[in-house]
Amino acid sequence: MSDAPATQPTEPQAGQIPVTVLTGYLGAGKTTLLNRILTENHGRKYAVVINEFGELGVDNDLVVDTDEEVFEMNNGCICCTVRGDLIRIVGGLMKRREKFDGIIIETTGLAQPAPVAQTFFVDDEVRAKTRLDAIITVVDAKHLPARLADSNEAEDQIAFADVIVLNKMDLVTPDEAREVEATIRKINNFAKIHHATKSNVPIAELLDQGAFDLNRVLAHTPDFLSDSEHEHSDDIASMSFEVENPIDPERFNAWIGALLAEQGQNMLRTKGILSYAGEDRRFAFQAVHMIADGDFIGPWKQGEPRVSRLVFIGRNLNRPQLRRGFESCQAA
Amino acid sequence: MSQAMSPDRLLEERGDSRSLDAFVVAAAYDRSGTCAFVLGDGGVRIVAPGKEWLPVAAHGGAVLSLAADARAAGWVTGGDDGRFLRISTDGTVSELAGFGMKWVEHVASHADAKSGVLACSVGKAVHVFDAAGAKLKTVQHPSTVTGLVFDAKGKRFAASHYGGASVWFVASKTDNPRKLEWKGSHTGIAMSPDGDCVVTAMQEYSLHGWRLSDEQHMRMTGYPAKTQALSFTKNGKWLASSGADSVVLWPFFGGGPMGKPPTELAGGDGVTCTQVAAHPTHDAVAAGFADGLVVMADISSARILPVAAPGRGAVSALAWSPDGTHLAFGTETGFAAVVDFSKRG
Repeated sequence: MSDAPATQPTEPQAGQIPVTVLTGYLGAGKTTLLNRILTENHGRKYAVVINEFGELGVDNDLVVDTDEEVFEMNNGCICCTVRGDLIRIVGGLMKRREKFDGIIIETTGLAQPAPVAQTFFVDDEVRAKTRLDAIITVVDAKHLPARLADSNEAEDQIAFADVIVLNKMDLVTPDEAREVEATIRKINNFAKIHHATKSNVPIAELLDQGAFDLNRVLAHTPDFLSDSEHEHSDDIASMSFEVENPIDPERFNAWIGALLAEQGQNMLRTKGILSYAGEDRRFAFQAVHMIADGDFIGPWKQGEPRVSRLVFIGRNLNRPQLRRGFESCQAA
Repeated sequence: MSQAMSPDRLLEERGDSRSLDAFVVAAAYDRSGTCAFVLGDGGVRIVAPGKEWLPVAAHGGAVLSLAADARAAGWVTGGDDGRFLRISTDGTVSELAGFGMKWVEHVASHADAKSGVLACSVGKAVHVFDAAGAKLKTVQHPSTVTGLVFDAKGKRFAASHYGGASVWFVASKTDNPRKLEWKGSHTGIAMSPDGDCVVTAMQEYSLHGWRLSDEQHMRMTGYPAKTQALSFTKNGKWLASSGADSVVLWPFFGGGPMGKPPTELAGGDGVTCTQVAAHPTHDAVAAGFADGLVVMADISSARILPVAAPGRGAVSALAWSPDGTHLAFGTETGFAAVVDFSKRG
């Protein structure tokens, strides 16, 4: 069998089960949210992967209790780790896939999100049978500043998020709320933020969102070009770039490949929608650290400007260098 | 092909098949020659020669694993309902052990004239039982067990896990395994019939082997997909494996597999082989593919005998009867069949 071309699903494909990853620091309200998802009457059934069953106490015959097992891959990528337990569990759940509509994976409070996300890029069977719908991070509005001060994980969980539930809003003043939201935006300017008290976000706003669908992520990006702070910093920042001329695929691959190989450890997430020269379909690109993938998704809409957009979330991002690099990928 | 036999002729003329409406997780013959299929809906189908297929409700979730019982007839199963069950040929279900929320992912057994032994893996633990179902011991591993096998004499068992495999003596009082180490995630295991070689499948599309007598490592690479099935031929000369678009057979003789290319059979159409089962007496192997094709391949002549045509779902279960006269197979979409290979007078 020949090596199949890399195709990280960016649009729902027939039969692919949506997977939602739920992260959040200890005490942020993750378990409360999970309990709501499981008990609320939304007409859908979810298989839930947890490792803190003792706290949960929910009657769901599709709860899978696991030990998070982070495995290194021997694939030449120094930061490539995957969740070995998830590969096994997804394989097991697929034996009764007609019993549920989606999978929710709850991570422990101190978990790094990268191994979970990378699992959905690296394992071919997981990739063929499921699609990562969204990474949801629950944040405690009151205690976020303290969490950010004492742990890298809290910052990484925000950086990786497609959707952020800014929880415990009843405990903060309007000023504090503005400040905490600004803090989040400095780390990740591209996630959708929901304000919540006791994790009371409408479930329909969280699940089956296709939030990992880049088209949607980029379309809902506020202040797309205004994020000019935090360059040359150890803090996580997010940056976005636009190029109006069509992109040369070979130049782009050469540039992004070298960039991720060299700086992939600092690049938490990279996502983009590209307009390739002579191509009517949009090309969706994304990477977690060094692991990159891409595929054509639907065609450009009639009258829609064919602008290529690229988003970086990471540490030590060099804005002028990234801009020059991306601009050098334009087709001659 | 029109002159040759139809790819479905064996199935049509010598097969007995059903649509079971659930993922066929595994097939196994018990020691009396009765077949069982286990399913993603928790059910079991017992297929005895000349009888109607017997449905048995066994597990609450999916059945995850199946092996012949260590006794003269019947099977043991593990499920994602946390139960380790014994299934009799008449459909009686009895629980050997329950593990609550944890999945019973792998089961294994060994039988001989004197006694037998059973084992199941639950997370990082392997629990060992005698043939009557009394627990002998529990041993722990550094990470979740991904494969479990007894040697041909039932004296040792081996478990694969992250970072390698562990080989344990069933009867040992001091519980220290022989640790076989190799960096990476090991996802399945087989032991050669002479008990000297342990081979694991790896997450990174390769096999890794250890020869116990001289601690030689063996690396077998080149697969385009993950290997799900490993099966040594009866004489131990060949290790058949899935994970390529052919049946990949590694030579375990003449100094191999080190430095020797594998023999590839039934390949060339770009469809991944998903299951292999070496014949219990001859140098032959049955194989199932992702498009539903099932074949039997004679290793020395490289002749391929089609058993079932593509089109019934990816082959997910494959097993020979102990005497090698019957082959059972099942697919992800719920097709199951037994095919009679015995001579007809």
